[in-house]
This record gives sequence, C-alpha cells and structure tokens, in this order.
Amino acid sequence: MFIDMHVHPAFYEPINQDSELEELRHNTLDIHKNGTAPLEHIFNQMKCAGLDYLCLLPEDYRTQQGGKVLVSNEEISQLVNMAPDKFIGFAGVDPFAEDAAEELEKAFAELKLSGLKLHPGKGHFYPTDERMMPLYDICEKYEKPIIFHSGMSWEPDTLTKYCRPEMFEELAAARPKLKICLAHFGWPWCRETAMLMLKYPNVYTDTGALYFDNAKEFYTQMLTRDVPMTWIDRSLRHQVMFGSNNPRFEQIRMAHAIKELGFRESTLDLICGGNAIEFLGGIPNRKE
Amino acid sequence: MYVESITLLTKEYNEYTVITPKVLDIVKRSGVRNGIVTVLTKHTTTGVTVNEALECLESDIENFLGRLIPEDYPYSHARMLRDYGSTAGNPTGHLKAMLTGNHCHFPVIDGEMVRGGAQEIYFCEFDGPAHRTINVIIQEEK
Repeated sequence: MFIDMHVHPAFYEPINQDSELEELRHNTLDIHKNGTAPLEHIFNQMKCAGLDYLCLLPEDYRTQQGGKVLVSNEEISQLVNMAPDKFIGFAGVDPFAEDAAEELEKAFAELKLSGLKLHPGKGHFYPTDERMMPLYDICEKYEKPIIFHSGMSWEPDTLTKYCRPEMFEELAAARPKLKICLAHFGWPWCRETAMLMLKYPNVYTDTGALYFDNAKEFYTQMLTRDVPMTWIDRSLRHQVMFGSNNPRFEQIRMAHAIKELGFRESTLDLICGGNAIEFLGGIPNRKE
Repeated sequence: MYVESITLLTKEYNEYTVITPKVLDIVKRSGVRNGIVTVLTKHTTTGVTVNEALECLESDIENFLGRLIPEDYPYSHARMLRDYGSTAGNPTGHLKAMLTGNHCHFPVIDGEMVRGGAQEIYFCEFDGPAHRTINVIIQEEK
C-alpha cells in the first residue's frame, strides 16, 4: 500500500472549469504553467509513482478572498466520489468564517471527509488561538485527524512564524487524543518536528518538501542528515508519512526517492502506507 | 499556411509514439497539393524524430539516451523556479529533447507526404506522463 498524504487537486479538470477561479488558484498558490489535469493523467501519474491512494486537500481562505473558496469541501467530495478507490478527501474551513464549525460538521457528517486541513501561515493564526478550539472539539468528536501546514510556505501572504513546529506543542500536549500532522516535516525546522514526534505520539509528519536540489538529494539531506536516518528508522518510524505536496513538488521522483534512502523494508512500509492508515483510522470505502 | 494540432496524453516517463498516420491525415485535410510539412512539438522536454518503427530500435534509442544522460547526475536544473512556483526536476528531459530535436520536415507532392519506406515520425516523451501538443504546419508552394 502506497499513499501520498499531501496532494492539492486545485487544477484537476473536473473541479477546474471556471477560468476566473483558475486564475485565483494560480495566484493564491503561486503555481503557474502547470495546466489542467484530466483524471486520466492523474491516474497515469499515480501508476508511474506506484501510488495506490492520494489524500486530496482543500483550501478555504474565504474571509481573505471576498467569500470565494479556493477548493471547497464539495469539490473534494466530488473527486472522491469519482474515484473512491484512489482518492481520500480532507475537509477545509476558514477558521474565521462565521459558519466554520457548521461547515466542518457537515464535511464530516454528510460529506464523510476523512480529516481537517488547516494552514496557520495563510490564516495568520497560531495553533493555540482560542478561536480554533471549536474546530478541534469537532475533530475530537468525530475522531478525525488534522493536517497543519508546518514550516516554510511558498504561497504569498503567508507568515512562517505561525507554522513553526514548536508552536504546535501546546496543542499536542493539551489534546493527546487528537492526531495532528505537522506537514512538510516542518522544514527547515525538521529537528523541532522530530523532537515533538519523540515526545508526543499523537504528532505525525509528512515528507512533502523539495525546496532545493532534486528529490533524491533533498530527501537525503532532510531525512538522513538534518534528521539522521537512524532517528526515523529506530524511533519515529510510526509517525512519518509519505507526502509529495504535488503539484508544487514532483510526486513521481519523490515516490521513487523515498525508497532509495536505505530505510528498513518494514520502516518503508510504515512511511509509505501503514502510518497513513493509522493516522486516518483506516481508509474509507476500501474493499478488503 | 495550414496548421493543425495533435494532442496526446502520454502514460510513461519516457515513451515513443508513432504519429505518422495522424500527420498523413492532416496533410490530406489541408488540401495542399505541393509544399512542405513541418511537425513541431510545443514542449521542451519532448522530441520529434524520424526512424524505423521497430521495438528493438525503440529500446536501443532509449538505452542510448539513458547512457548519455543518466538520471543520477548532479544537474544544475534542480531547483525551485519562481515563474512556476514548483521544483524543476526534469533536466534529463530537456537534454534528451535537445538530442532528438523538436521537429521534422517532409515534402508534399501532388497532395501526398513523400517519405522513405522505413521512415516513421516519432513523438518522444521524456518527462511523462503529461498532456502534450504537436503542431503540424503545411506551407504551400507559391
């Protein structure tokens, strides 16, 4: 089982039909010249990467964007319903929207989405902001995990101070039953992320970072030197999940590179799928 | 000048597709009796080349290009590109495309594209899978 836990489907053809919204997506994400991807192309890409599932993440910054939702929960649900054997969908809400809590309830209860994605750097809030508590309560009620953007963000109007891994410690400590993923290994603060995972078993991370060099070179630096490979292979092997952050980064080359670093086979099985299944509490719609 | 496009959804990282029949159809549709046809890819990590359509040759071409331009090499084209907002990881595609070239020409005489018996037009994918476009341009003799 190979799962990519960090994929942004903003440019997938079925949900990218409105040219005005497409322009907003290019500008907000600062991803350009990538074109619109038919699902057949996405499936070809998954095959080349050897991936079985993609976890699709929404983007909701409506209070900053005149009420427009960049990628909505309904669009994520639409994609999951088109390929339930390949896609896992997360919910997104703008924490400062009046109906954020209702939206999240609906996403879990009606749309059956598998977790919540939040970007503190884009929303300019700290993870411990009191206004976030109702959302965390809902995630605990439905036993759904949260993926937080962590570390550097390439997107415009984002501030890294809100996403530094250490900012998540209070949340991890206060809500031990809430599973949280500090995405992108918290790069460049990978050792802070490692520290939090060592201390808090409810903290996970993903490997969605490729800011310098090629996939193999960057992963070698991040996953064998910045964080020595033995730390992951011996101590953190149940908390690291494969993620590509596609289309920002190169899914196929990253999927190949993670397997070339020298992890034990059993550790690779966990990074590539086992930990994601544990984090998600199982894969929805999966036929055993 | 008559221009028509061929679009392809490639499935593999490196892939060789014979597009001769599609080009022949376009030449016919153009109605041009005498002139020249140019087949030109719109991309910089794909190529257009002419060769005999044999499985063994496709394999030899792929191995030859792979030996000249290995995947595991410290290329400079491996960094975040500001214009794209994404990482460049396809130097091998650019270099292979440079070797095959990005176009080919054939004469059109009496409404037919004239070529040798072994000559087929290949579209070469060097950074797939991807959505690709090839322009077929027919210029009429004046």
